[in-house]
Amino acid sequence: MACSVKTIMPDTTLETPNLSRRSLLKVGLMGSALLATAGLTASLSGCSASMPKAGFAVIRESDLAFLNALIPVMLAGAVTTEQLPQAVSNTLANLDYSLNHLSPELLKLTVQLFDVLALPITRGPLTGIWGSWENASSADVQAFLDRWQNSSISLLKMGHASLLQLVMMSWYSRPESWAHCGYPGPPTV
Amino acid sequence: MPVPDSFKEGLARGWKTYNGSRLDNDLTLEADVAIVGSGAGGGTTAEILSAAGFKVLLIEEGPLKTSDDFKMLEDKAYASLYQEGIGRMSKDGAITIMQGRAVGGTTLINWTSSFRTPATTLEHWATEHGVKGHSPEEMAPWFEQMEQRLGVAPWAVPPNANNAVISSGCEKLGYEWKVIPRNVRGCWNLGYCGMGCPTNAKQSMLVTTIPATLEKGGELLYLARADKLLIDGDHVTGIECLGMDERSVAPNGRKITVKAKHYVLSGGGINTPGLLLRSNAPDPHQRTGKRTYLHLVNFSAALFEQVINPYYGAPQSIYSDHFQWDDGTAGRLSYKLEVPPLQPALTATLLGRFGIDNAMRMEQLPNTNVMLALLRDGFHPESAEGRVELRGDGSPVLDYQMTDYTWDGVRRAFHTMAEIQFAAGAKAVLPLHADAGYVKTLAEAKSLIDNLSLELYRTRLGSAHVMGGCAMGEDPQQAVTDSLGRHHQLSNLSIHDGSLFPTSIGANPQLSVYGLTAKLASKLAERLKSA
Repeated sequence: MACSVKTIMPDTTLETPNLSRRSLLKVGLMGSALLATAGLTASLSGCSASMPKAGFAVIRESDLAFLNALIPVMLAGAVTTEQLPQAVSNTLANLDYSLNHLSPELLKLTVQLFDVLALPITRGPLTGIWGSWENASSADVQAFLDRWQNSSISLLKMGHASLLQLVMMSWYSRPESWAHCGYPGPPTV
Repeated sequence: MPVPDSFKEGLARGWKTYNGSRLDNDLTLEADVAIVGSGAGGGTTAEILSAAGFKVLLIEEGPLKTSDDFKMLEDKAYASLYQEGIGRMSKDGAITIMQGRAVGGTTLINWTSSFRTPATTLEHWATEHGVKGHSPEEMAPWFEQMEQRLGVAPWAVPPNANNAVISSGCEKLGYEWKVIPRNVRGCWNLGYCGMGCPTNAKQSMLVTTIPATLEKGGELLYLARADKLLIDGDHVTGIECLGMDERSVAPNGRKITVKAKHYVLSGGGINTPGLLLRSNAPDPHQRTGKRTYLHLVNFSAALFEQVINPYYGAPQSIYSDHFQWDDGTAGRLSYKLEVPPLQPALTATLLGRFGIDNAMRMEQLPNTNVMLALLRDGFHPESAEGRVELRGDGSPVLDYQMTDYTWDGVRRAFHTMAEIQFAAGAKAVLPLHADAGYVKTLAEAKSLIDNLSLELYRTRLGSAHVMGGCAMGEDPQQAVTDSLGRHHQLSNLSIHDGSLFPTSIGANPQLSVYGLTAKLASKLAERLKSA
């Protein structure tokens, strides 16, 4: 399939993807401009970012690296090591279902958030994960979440809150999560 | 024995409905009165007008889901029955806003608490907001009419253990508490009101006023968004509606044009002002969307030795108004105390944190109580206040600005809830704030709460009661409609929903919407007959 540039360009004065880290950090202090940068970069760097992965309605291949790093950290303590791979995959399925029912504007914000996390150019300076998500340790992921929760940028605090709520809600909607929290499930009518 | 799906039976008898997600062609529909929104205000208005002999068309953006569809599963219910797939929040993302979006509106997913508008609130509207003719005495017969229509009565079954924390704690402390009146008939005491009632016991609009309207030849258009009012001078000439996909997420390209003699907006707070703003409706004093209130909610969790099973049983059956008016009507921010039901998905997001911290909190779910405070916003000039704006795609969003006055109310509510929970026998209490952990004594809780940095995102905040944004009142410089819900600028447009309230209510608002809109609809029927 041919690549196509997104028709709606983000509102930003940046016109080139060849940004130095320094200029990017400067932009980053402005918060929303950085999110726009991620959108712009995604648009210019290829088309794969906008296509959902096979089997998903919303989640893209490019989202999976950080979601696969993030979800096990979020579910630590609630699932056993043996259950973890299946739990991550089931959480992803429910997350995809939820995202697919968000309003277009909220979905757009969430996709921008995912772009910021996925693209190396924004991931490093904003999350502190300078290498790939595949190589991030649990401590690295926790440090990133702490950093966002305590950031001075509202958008990152909002991003932190959104990630927590989306993932926890997705997992605890699943019947296999209920044994841990002692919930017998809905009654029969 | 399976529960009969009465709505499906009605459809089989020939009720007239249109599914906006499955239209083969664009459509034009005509009626005497077109009503946008099928919740408390729209349903009540539809029944009264159709009983008076008018042909009514109800327009609903959400899907038609009936008792057979209600499986008591959080993911399915939240995605299909709530605004924005339960993703709705304040513009800054710090306040979760739960509103219904399906045939029946929020009445389909509320927790059934039914209170009359407090007399103090009605009096405050008369003296401070130019509201005329809605004194407690004048409103009483309308509340009584709707209480009878919807089976409102104090819950006669013992409260579940989650609710009993309020009564037992308040009893020990000498604080006032009462039993909550609920709009149910033959309730099974299951606890899943927030996911659609699977037994049709809840007297939502889906099983009461909407069937009555359809029986009288009224029509229902669902999965259709009222996108724009067509306006000519001081007249509305039509409504442009967009067919929605079956998730109710995106328009599907079909258009439905609605023509009527009179138009009623009942989309509720946020959506009704949003439609007016999107339509560029005349608003010379810039009032549309202003003064929107939330009954901002903060939460306190508590652990008990005994089993609470907070996910089962009538979600709300006990409340305390001990603090509601403790500094007069317009003094410091005060609150009503209730509990939420605690099914696991929503609870996991309330209890906060992640990993082992969240896992340990969730592990104790069967022994957990959560209390909430509904902060009575909008009565004091320094109260936090919301303003509805439009996003890039024309959808509405609420910009709710916190104030020191409001944070002070949040902090006092944390103190009160911890005090009641310990008095009820809690072995540990957790104010729901990112920096708090469970503490084992009231003294520890006091010191913890006094030192919490109350700020957005760190404090878990929510709302299930959007009120205001199209305030009623006699002064067009202050209000969008007059006291009868008639738009000050558009002669054949009325607003019949919770967006009319000039302040928050000080109680769960559904009966306030029923009573007020029953009165407004009856007056409208008289005017239309004599026209």
